[in-house]
Parts: sequence; C-alpha cells; structure tokens
Amino acid sequence: MAAGKAVEEPRRAGGPARRLDLAVAERSPAGRDFVWLALSAPPDWQSLPGQFVNVRCESDARAVRASEGRSLDPLTPLGAEEWPQATGLELGGRRALVRRPYSIARLERRGGQVRVHLLVQAKGPGSQFLASRPVGAAVDLVGPLGTHFEPPEGDRLCILVSGGCGLAPIFGLAEALAAAGKRVVNLFGATSTEAMPVRFAKKPRATGDHLEETSAVEEFSRLGVATILATDDGSAGFRGPVTAALERYLEGLEGGEKPVLYGCGPEAMLRRLAEIAGKRNLSCRISLERYMGCGIGVCLSCVSKRRDASKPQGWTYRLTCQEGPVVDAGEMVWDDA
Amino acid sequence: MSRRKADLSVTLGKIRMKNPIATASGCSGYGEELAAFYDIGALGAIITKSVTREPREGHPPPRLVETRAGMLNAIGLANVGVEAFLAEKLPALAKYDVPVIVNVAGSTAEEYVEVARVLDGAPGVAGIELNVSCPNVRKGGMEFGVEPAVLAGLVEAVRRVVARATLIVKLSPNVTDIAATARAAVEAGADALSLINTLRGLAIDPWTGRPRLSNVTGGLSGPAIKPVALYMVRRVWEEVAGPRGVGVLGVGGVQFVEDVVEFLRAGATAVAVGTANFVNPETGKNLIEGLGEALERLGCGSPRDLVGAVEGGERKE
Repeated sequence: MAAGKAVEEPRRAGGPARRLDLAVAERSPAGRDFVWLALSAPPDWQSLPGQFVNVRCESDARAVRASEGRSLDPLTPLGAEEWPQATGLELGGRRALVRRPYSIARLERRGGQVRVHLLVQAKGPGSQFLASRPVGAAVDLVGPLGTHFEPPEGDRLCILVSGGCGLAPIFGLAEALAAAGKRVVNLFGATSTEAMPVRFAKKPRATGDHLEETSAVEEFSRLGVATILATDDGSAGFRGPVTAALERYLEGLEGGEKPVLYGCGPEAMLRRLAEIAGKRNLSCRISLERYMGCGIGVCLSCVSKRRDASKPQGWTYRLTCQEGPVVDAGEMVWDDA
Repeated sequence: MSRRKADLSVTLGKIRMKNPIATASGCSGYGEELAAFYDIGALGAIITKSVTREPREGHPPPRLVETRAGMLNAIGLANVGVEAFLAEKLPALAKYDVPVIVNVAGSTAEEYVEVARVLDGAPGVAGIELNVSCPNVRKGGMEFGVEPAVLAGLVEAVRRVVARATLIVKLSPNVTDIAATARAAVEAGADALSLINTLRGLAIDPWTGRPRLSNVTGGLSGPAIKPVALYMVRRVWEEVAGPRGVGVLGVGGVQFVEDVVEFLRAGATAVAVGTANFVNPETGKNLIEGLGEALERLGCGSPRDLVGAVEGGERKE
C-alpha cells in the first residue's frame, strides 16, 4: 500500500490504553540473554500481535537481589555497543524516568486468566531492572499501544522474518496466524545459536549456504510452523543474514506463489527486507523500533519518515507510537534511519 | 475521608483554574491524548504543544534521550500549524471543561503576532503562552527571549493584538538574570509569566563520539532542573511578579505533590507538569488528588495562601 495517503487512519485496535500494575506470574530464561516475563492481565485485556506496552523501569535494589537474573555487576566487561547508558537509575529514590517500549510477545488466554508475555533482553539499566523482576512483583505499564499485524486474505503464504530481539512479536503473530489456519514459515536470524531466545527440542543443524526447515524450535514447531534459522557465525542453519536467507527462500518458491512478509528486527535488516519486498512487489508489514518518551502520542519524539505525496518534500514524519510500530514497508523513507 | 474539602481554585491572569495543576507545553500533545488516562476536565488548564503559522515537520530522530534524572529533547517545534490546530485540535478540547492555553512560537515577530491574533479571536482559547525560549530552533524561540529589549518589542507587538486571552510569556532559563527578562515581559504587557523552559544541554555517545540527538543540543527537563526552576520562580516573584501582582506559572521537574507545594511557596500561582506526564500519564490527576491532602496537612484553606510562603526567606549574600 503505497505512497501518498495524506491521512492514514492509525491501525489501532485491541482495548483502550490504560496504565496498569501487572503482577509477574511467571519468569523463565530464554537462551543466554533473555528472560520471559508472564504478567497477569485483567480479564478485559485486549491486544493484537505487534502492539506494545510502555514499561516503567525503576531501580530497586531489593528486587534486583531477589531476581534470578544474571549478574548486574557493573564491572562485567562489556563491548562498547552494549555498555549500559547512564540513565538516572543509579540515583535511587524518586525521579523521572522515561518508560521503555516492549512488544507484546504473546497474549495467552487460559480459562479466565489472561497473561501478557514480554521477552526482555537484559542490556541497559532499564531492561536489566525489568528482567530482574521477581515473581509477584508489579510491573507498571501503559498499554496496549500502537498498530498491529493483520492476517492476509485467503491462503497466501505468510513469511515471518526477524532478527535478534525482533523475534519478540513474531511469537504472538505466528500463534495468531496458525490459529487462523494460515500457511506460515518463520525465518529467524541471530548472531549465534546461543543468542537465540528460543527453546530447542534438539540441537539445530548448521547448514552453511543451504536453507533447511527445522522443527527444532519448540515455540514454533508446536504450532506446526517450520523455522529456517540463520546465524552470522554459521552455528545454526544458514550462515549469513536472515534477509539473504529470505531471498534464497523466495527464489525457491513455486511460480504462482505471492507470499506476504512480516518483519521485525534491527533497522538495517528491516530496510533490506523492505527492498526485497519492493523489488518483488510483495506486501510487507514491519514493526519499527524508536526511542520513545511517552508512547501515547504526546512527546513527538518517536517519529519515522514516511512517504506522503501531499507534502512538497514527498514525505512526512509520523509518530511510531501511534501510526506504528507496525507499518507498511513501502511507506518508509529510510534516509535518516 | 472528605472533611472540609479545600478550595483549590486559583486565578492566573484572567484564567480561572479549578486547581493550580496544568499540563506543560509539549508534554501533553494537544490535550486530548491524556484523556485516555483520566478526566482532563479536572485539570486547572491544558497548555498545548507550540503552534506556528505553518505546519512544521520538526527535527529528524533521535529527538529525545534520557539523561540522569531528566531528559534532553529537540523536537524542533513539530506541529500541525495554526489552521489545522483551530480546525481539528481545538474543537476536540471543547467538550472538556478546562481552560486551554495555546503555546505560540514563530520565526519572526510578524509570525508570532499573526498566530496570536488568530488565536485571540478563537473561542475556546483562554490563554496564549509565548514560547520565546525554545532552545532547539535556529530561528525564533530563544533568540526572542534572552535580550530584554528584543523580548519587550515582541511582547508589545503581540499585546496589541491580544485583547481577550490571557497573555503569558514563557521565560528562558538560559539567561544571565531572569528577573531582567521577566521585568521586560511584564512592562511590555504580559498578564502572567511561565518559567522555566528547558535548559540547553548536550549528550554524547562516549563510544561513537556522536551527539545523542540529531539536533546535537537539546533542552533539559525533568527532576534535574527543579532546583533551578524553583530558584528562578523565587527570584522572579521577589523582584517582579510579587510586587506587581503578576501571576507565575512554575514549570520544571514537577512530579510529586511536594514539588507543587515547593513551587507555590517559591511564588508560583500554579504549576505545569511536563516530563512527569511521560513517566506516568496519570500524574496530573494524582497531583490534584494529593494537593487537597497536602493543604489540609499544612492547615491551608487554599493554595493561594501558600504563594511566596518561604519561612525566613531572606537571602544572605
């Protein structure tokens, strides 16, 4: 869906955004770097795959100690990219702290119980705090927020493409698509096998420059969704970027097949994905990540550049929290990404 | 537990506020965004994002970064323009029983005057807040707010076209003496003053060497600036606003009810909540609820009784 819609109605859905304190009902590690948090949500919670919550992350020394997370030792040697940014967390006590946006990775309804699942990578101070929340602790969040992924019409093949922590919303999307009876294949890339926030039923094979559908990833195989893995170090699946795996996969499709693409991951990956989709004229919806101040359309900081033929410059800034995070890839202008 | 319910109402310029809690410009959008979280009709006033004559896209991202006990932003006055504001945003606020103060910015004095004239004639605009203190745009904004003579010229020009609405001038903290700009604004006809806008600041990624904001510098807000804001409110109240009976809207790091009481004591008639809206969108509601209890604890019947009330406040120099 292309360029030039002057005013696009934000694709919002689900329930109204609220500020809630949700208790951590369950927590479990996911791979080397991630923690799953299952939050107890009220029975009337409504959200759709791709939507997000904005979480207040404050330091709480007791909570950190009580957590089962990994070491929070500030002296742990870290690479420059992963060095925690000073954010005010170290000051303790009352202070302003900008909320952190997290994809709703899964929404689980069981009987009368509703659980919102977040996938948290303990990286900076905010995420370390959230990842450390013990069972029973309350998580202060605002949500559900933003636009969502929609299933395609008819029987079109759905290809999910994600990288790193971009896998988060893909879990819930795969569940929704599988429940709707859609054909789904999941392409997932990461730096290495250990960096993948998934449970492996068996060790995934390294396949070099071949693609191989694997049932090794439990979260997807239980849905009947095959996964194709890609790793930078070649330790599992295809060696190389997940977008290269996607191109290979598209080349191998039958002539009449016109799949729809769904993506979430680092900006460079999304940009490449948008190029691939554009070249082949495939429908492609992607979930963006932006630094957000408020998540509710107030601070105007999370803009992304979109095509807009009604503007003299041919583009406009739109709020990622309101007219996003899920957008049509063809709408994006990538030059200041 | 409602004993005698305190009367929280205050008057800022000609604006009757139900209570001294407003939302600060740029921190509550065009007002309605916060309505999802509480009845914004309960607020003392809503101050909109800056409105300019033409729509503005604003700066490229990143536009905001958290810093210790605060944040830096450089949005670049992104807004829909005054025409769309009047057609779309202002009518949406009409259904709430809350005074609307429209923040106005411009690149030239003419632009300020033109936008202010249009707004003064628009029903539903209770106040016009002149943004002469935005640290993030090259033209307009702060250049009008640092030189007392330049500021006086602008305020006089705007004053001539604003007859109905309360004219508020938002002062910059990025000056040598805020009492000088406060005096210039009041003598040129401002009905009230709001202070402070953000402090110009910088954040650098130590590992890449790149500034964290696309605009390089930004405006610092949040709890980090509260003592600065309190001092400046106090200074302006002592030197200008108090003696002349001009109202002050205190802005800068208001997050808890204690902060509100501090600002009142420093000399503010009312306060505006900025960055705290991002931390908790319900902050406005919480402060209104908490203020009644705080006044009761202080034995005050009204927030008006607290304005300027600093015990032993003589400065030793």
